[in-house]
This record gives sequence, C-alpha cells and structure tokens, in this order.
Amino acid sequence: MSEPRCVPSWLQEKTPAVAAVPVRKRSLKGGFVEKTLHAIAEVMKNEVFSESLASRQGLLQGLDPRAKLVSVLFLIGTVGLFHHIFPLVLFNLWLFWLAKSSRVPLGVFTKRVWIVVPLFTGILVLPVLFNVVRPGTPLLVLFHLSRPLTLGYWTIPAEVAITRQGLAAAALLMLRVGASVSLAVLLTLTTRWNALIKALGALRIPAIFLSVFEMTYRYIFLLLSASSDMFLARRSRLVGRAGPREERRFVTSAMGSLWCKTAALSEEVHGAMISRGYAGTPRSMLRFKMKLSDWAWIILVIFTAILFIGGDRVLG
Amino acid sequence: MHIPDGYLSPSTCAALGAAMLPAWAGAVGRVKGRIKSRYVPLMAIGAAFSFTIMMYNVPIPGGTTAHAVGGGLLAVVLGPWAAMICITIALAIQALLFGDGGVWTFTANCFNMALVLPFVAYGVYRLISAKSAPGSARRWVGAAAGGYAGLCAAALCAGVELGLQPVFFHTAGGVPLYCPYPLKVSIPAMMLAHLVVAGPLEAVVTGFVVRYLQSYNVALLDNRALSTDFQPSEAVSYRKLWWALGAMAILSPLGLLAGGDAWGEWGAADLQKLVGFIPAGLKRMTGTWSFAPFRDYSLPGFDSFGSSALVYIFCAVIGAGIICLFTYFFGRFQALERKERN
Repeated sequence: MSEPRCVPSWLQEKTPAVAAVPVRKRSLKGGFVEKTLHAIAEVMKNEVFSESLASRQGLLQGLDPRAKLVSVLFLIGTVGLFHHIFPLVLFNLWLFWLAKSSRVPLGVFTKRVWIVVPLFTGILVLPVLFNVVRPGTPLLVLFHLSRPLTLGYWTIPAEVAITRQGLAAAALLMLRVGASVSLAVLLTLTTRWNALIKALGALRIPAIFLSVFEMTYRYIFLLLSASSDMFLARRSRLVGRAGPREERRFVTSAMGSLWCKTAALSEEVHGAMISRGYAGTPRSMLRFKMKLSDWAWIILVIFTAILFIGGDRVLG
Repeated sequence: MHIPDGYLSPSTCAALGAAMLPAWAGAVGRVKGRIKSRYVPLMAIGAAFSFTIMMYNVPIPGGTTAHAVGGGLLAVVLGPWAAMICITIALAIQALLFGDGGVWTFTANCFNMALVLPFVAYGVYRLISAKSAPGSARRWVGAAAGGYAGLCAAALCAGVELGLQPVFFHTAGGVPLYCPYPLKVSIPAMMLAHLVVAGPLEAVVTGFVVRYLQSYNVALLDNRALSTDFQPSEAVSYRKLWWALGAMAILSPLGLLAGGDAWGEWGAADLQKLVGFIPAGLKRMTGTWSFAPFRDYSLPGFDSFGSSALVYIFCAVIGAGIICLFTYFFGRFQALERKERN
C-alpha cells in the first residue's frame, strides 16, 4: 500500500494558497496587528514597571500622595510662569536630582523626557528658528535672495536667517515642555495608581468621579487583554497580508465587537454591584495621614517656586 | 491632538477649565438623572473603552497606520453628555497615570476633545440620521460625517488655542513664551492634517463601527437605557437659576467700577496699548459691527455713573431676556417635534 491510511487524499494535495500569497517583509513586523499588539503589551509592561518603581524607598515615594499631587500641579503651574531660559535650565537640573533621589533610573527618566520631547516638540519648533516664519533679529544668515519672494500670502524675506527670538522661543518651549513632562513622569512613576486616584479627592473632586476613575483603570486592562486576544487570534490565522480595506474592516469590526462586550459587561457589573449592596455612594478604605515630612516638602516646594520665579523676574 | 504642558499659558488653561466646570457639572447631573446607579459602571467601562480604542492602529493608505480618537463613536452610541464624561476620564487617566498629554493643559484637551468633539459629532449625526430607523444607511453615513466634523472642529479649537499664545504672551523682546506660531500658521497646520488624514480616518472608523453594530447588534444603536439624550426623567427646578440670573443682571454695572476692559474683550486701541501692535485681522474687523443698537452697552444721554449703571442693568435684562426667549422657543420646538414623533 503506497498511500498512508490515516491521511485523507484531499489533505495530501498540495494547496497553492500558502505559497502563492506574497509575504512582504514589512508585513511580518510592521503590520497594524503587530503594532496594536505591541502598543497593548507596552502599556501593560509600563504599568508593571511603574508599580515596581512606586514601591521602592525613595524621596518622592515616601511622600503623602496628596502632598505629592498638589505639589506637582503647583510646580507645573510654576514652570508655566518662567520667562527666561536660565531658571528653566536650573529647574530641570533640580528635577534630575529629584529623580535620582527617588531612585528612578536616570536612563529611563532621560529616555522618557529628553528623547521624547526633542523628538516631538523639537520638530514642531524647528521652523520658528527661521525668519521665514517669524521675523526677528538675525543671528546667523543662511543665504541671500536677490529680492523678497512672495508665495501666496507667504513672503520669504531677502535674507533668510536664524533669528535670536526664534532660537530663544524654541529653547524656551523645549525646556518648559521638558520640565512639565518630567514632573508628570515623576508623579506617575513614584505613585501607586490607587493612591493617586484617592489623592485626587484632596482636590475636591467628587467621590463619584473618583470611583468611576478607579473602575475605569481596572477595566482598561480587561478590555486591553480582550483586544489583545482579538488581534492575536487574527494574527495566528493570517497567512500573508490582507488588503488595506479588509484590514480596516477588521479593526472597525474589532471596535464594534468590543463595544458590544463593553455594554454587556457594564450591565453585569452593575448587577453585581447592586447585589452587593451598592446604593449609589462609593466608599473608600484607603486612609492617608500627613506626616511632618509632608508639610516640610510642601514648604520646600513653595520656597523653591518663589526662589525660581523671583530669580526669573530679577532677570527682567 | 493632545496638547502637552508648556504649549499653553497657565491663564489659558485656567480659563478653559472655568469653561469646562459647568459643562462637567451639567453632564454629571444629566447622566446621573437619566441612568441612576447604572451610571458608575457604564461610565467607567465606557471610559475604558474610549482609552482602549485610542490604542488601535488603523491602516491608512500609504502603508502606515494611525490612531483614531473614537470620540464621535462614543457620542453616537452613548449620547454627547455621557461621551463627555467618558472622554474626560480617559484623558485624565492618560495624563495622570500614563504621563501622556498635559496635566495643566488637561482642561484645554478636555475642551477640544470631550466637549467640542462629541457635541459637534452628535449634532451632525442627528442632523443626517434624523428619525431614520436604527438599521438605515442614514445612521452610518451620519455617524461618519459626525466623526469627521467633530474631529475637525476639535482640531480647529486646538489651532486657535495654540495660535493665540504668541499674540498675548511674549517677552518685551518679542520672544514668544509658549507655542510660538500665530493663528496664521497654527490653524492651517492643524486643519490640513485633520481635514486630509485624521478626519477621513475618524469618519471611516465611526461609519464602519456603526455599520458593524447595525449588522450584529442593532439594539445597541437604539438603546434608550444607555443613551442620555432624551428628556430628563424628572422635572428639574430652575428657580434657583432664575434668582442667580436676576442677581447677576443687577450686579452687572460692577464692571464700571473696575478700570480697564474685560479680559479678552479689548478694542483695537486697548490691544495696541497691551501688546504693542494691532493684529491685522482685528484691524480689519474693527468697525464691521457698527450697527449694534446699544453700542458698548450704553445709550446717548446717559453719562453719569448712576444712569450708566441703569443702562447696564437694562442691557443685562434685555440680553438675558433674548437668550431666555430663544431657549424657550427652542424647547417648545423640541417638544412639538417629540409629540409628532410619538
């Protein structure tokens, strides 16, 4: 008997489908499915990482979450009031020192702030350097044109140059965004999320918002893992690459089906809450206590802000 | 679309926050009154949904991928008020827990994406879908158009907020302190990207998701229990509001005691004193609105403080009256329409 008994003949036929689908290199790593899966995995990894950082023993970790939240908000506001580059540079150095004493790895901190900010803000502010976009005192003349060029409502001056004002504006914006992002990153990396949400209560945000906030955070991970399952299932059944129309249909169908799940889930959760005695007012079990060091921190923060703003105003 | 911290002045953020407070309060009151204790889980999971779909990569022509916001979609399935709460919470989580988007600019981001976006999207959706059946093509066409219009309106708001920064906030030497681009640059830059790429993407996503729901779970498109745009279940007492309105009308001449003008209401001459130059656009606009009956809220012959105060009260009452009248007729119109429908 030449034919194997257990494998039916139709299975032995060579199906051309697998070989015929052209597999482009890009589709293996750059497809939308992989990108989405990667993004979801990043969020989860990031969350585990920040929880582990938040439980370390460090300067910011040791503070009362309310004191930390209020001081970060206050300091971001302060950063918004600076008019000069020099105090902003000093302030950023102070933030580096804060990160170091909170045992945030400086590599991670630098990557999150000083790689991301120049990448996005840097590209955005690049045009403002030139007097083509914003007139100003020329600092470095790039080239001369024979006469001013007019394109529609746009005029290119005869002397294209990098301006002093443009350079200052770009530096100011980058440093300001960098300092603000640093503060937000320090807050998120050194605070456990449930403590942070409870701390929002100190800002007089109604309890109902906080309980919604807290539940949202939990369900984000559930919905993310449901999405991850959908995309992974799709990926594992995919040979080659579907057309973009088909892909868009898949993504939008995934969203639609996620909404169906969401609506059903919210009904079930509501039923579960009612059966456990929920009557419309949430209760919290976390209690905070302000220590002497928390008050000392707040005084330090206010003092720092006065010092920096004062210095900034002395500069003119 | 997310404006990070540092691009807007703290005063802009505070002003937008003040604009958002009544909107948030209204949304919570409305949604809570409508869906009672189911409000907490629905809003929470809706916000988680909003956060999650912002992470989906959608393939766009040209071989790359982009993110959709999904605000229009939420407005279509939940109604604009509930969508506003969901997007606000999703934005807050992004800003506070993931360090994405600004903390102070949170108010501006909410104004653009949680207020303007869902309301414009929902308005367009209702305009096109009107009274059509949940399964009809007008629903998904309306949703797609709504998604497009909502996103573009939000982008326009962001462009205006960014573009106003260099006009108001710069050093004596002319160095802009925050976003350095004037309106002339910021609006075309924001609008071009959103009209051509992000807007169509949002339209496709919103339209297709609604089509998906139409074919697999049409009940979710017509779910009165979830939706918050129908009339509130119980009559709300507006008496306190009337008293407050009256008090404000009487207090309106207080502005006469303060020197200078209301913030942002400068005339061209005041603006020249404040910022050193008159924006070209304003110069053109000055004088176009010369036919208002009570110019600068005053009447000829009423010059002393007492009589100007009287004129102010009079104008406040007239203004409030006109607004109330409009609102009343709008309400009547809606009631008539509702009666017709039932």
